[in-house]
Amino acid sequence: MTKSIRMLITLLVIVCAILSGRWVWNDYMHSPWTRDGRVRANIITVAPDVSGWVTKLDIVNDQPVKKGDLLFSIDQKRYQAALDQSKANTEIALYSWQLAKHKYERRSELSRQKAISVEDLQSSRISAEVDKAKYDLAKAEQESAQINLNRTQVYAPVSGYIINLNLHQGNYVGQGKPVFAIVKSDSFYITGYFEETKIPLIHLNQKAKITLLSGGKPLTGHVVSIGKAIADTNTQSNGQLLPQIQQTFNWVRLSQRIPVDIKLDPLPKGVQLSAGMTATIHLAQH
Amino acid sequence: MLQAVVLGGLEFSPLVVYCPIAFLMSACTRFVLHRLDWHDRIWKVAWFEVSLFVCYLALTVYLLGGRFSQ
Repeated sequence: MTKSIRMLITLLVIVCAILSGRWVWNDYMHSPWTRDGRVRANIITVAPDVSGWVTKLDIVNDQPVKKGDLLFSIDQKRYQAALDQSKANTEIALYSWQLAKHKYERRSELSRQKAISVEDLQSSRISAEVDKAKYDLAKAEQESAQINLNRTQVYAPVSGYIINLNLHQGNYVGQGKPVFAIVKSDSFYITGYFEETKIPLIHLNQKAKITLLSGGKPLTGHVVSIGKAIADTNTQSNGQLLPQIQQTFNWVRLSQRIPVDIKLDPLPKGVQLSAGMTATIHLAQH
Repeated sequence: MLQAVVLGGLEFSPLVVYCPIAFLMSACTRFVLHRLDWHDRIWKVAWFEVSLFVCYLALTVYLLGGRFSQ
């Protein structure tokens, strides 16, 4: 074999290597894909609006629930007593107002006959109006007590699945303190954390292919939002509200990751999704 | 299009798996060339082998990159 042919073969392989190396680099670095994708879902935390002992628990962990289903009940006795008290107060206020109104009507008649002074008449009118306001206040308090009593029954705010239920009958629950969460049905979506260098390749409604770590057929979807902000440590302030700027001396800096949300198309049968699962995302290129 | 590789619950970057595969292919080629005694006929063997490795890597990425798993 002549030397020129030997050289030609090696040079051909080198040219092939340059071209294919460039292709691999572009495929890896400049195509919109990421291994850093997570399955997410809308999570609703359930917190009682009134405090008390849990008297009845109608659910178990991971149970599917429909919107409006009774989840648990809180001891009603205190709230029932408060409502009864409010009702009695409303009744007292009503009778007081009726009495004051009656007095004012009588004094109006007497005033026409010039039997009482104008001051007496005005005094009885104002007294009737004060009693009317007291009646309105008592009615509002009664309504508030009724709401508190109604809120001792905690209903599912959405349809979904109960998550992380550590609540038991007899536990004391506090007002506004979450006791468990509900994962909303059919609310699963994917968030991909793409390098900022790849963001120019991503646009809304771009088709996406999602491969779960658990394997199976790839899922499909489309981009619905591209994150418009991520946290910046340089924006933190010290005690004097002066910006704390991080000193950097690195030669190599990592690109930031921007969250991109992907809405899933209807799922194929048999696909089990759990919020938090890992996914690889490929976006279609045009 | 690159595909993450899952082995026993561990997820690897695709190149972490594709590089050893390309390396093995290069080693096999080297072995075959030695067996056939063609090794001496190649001009700048080191350049040739490194270039071949890159070509094999691209081929592995192309074939195993999930392009055909629709």
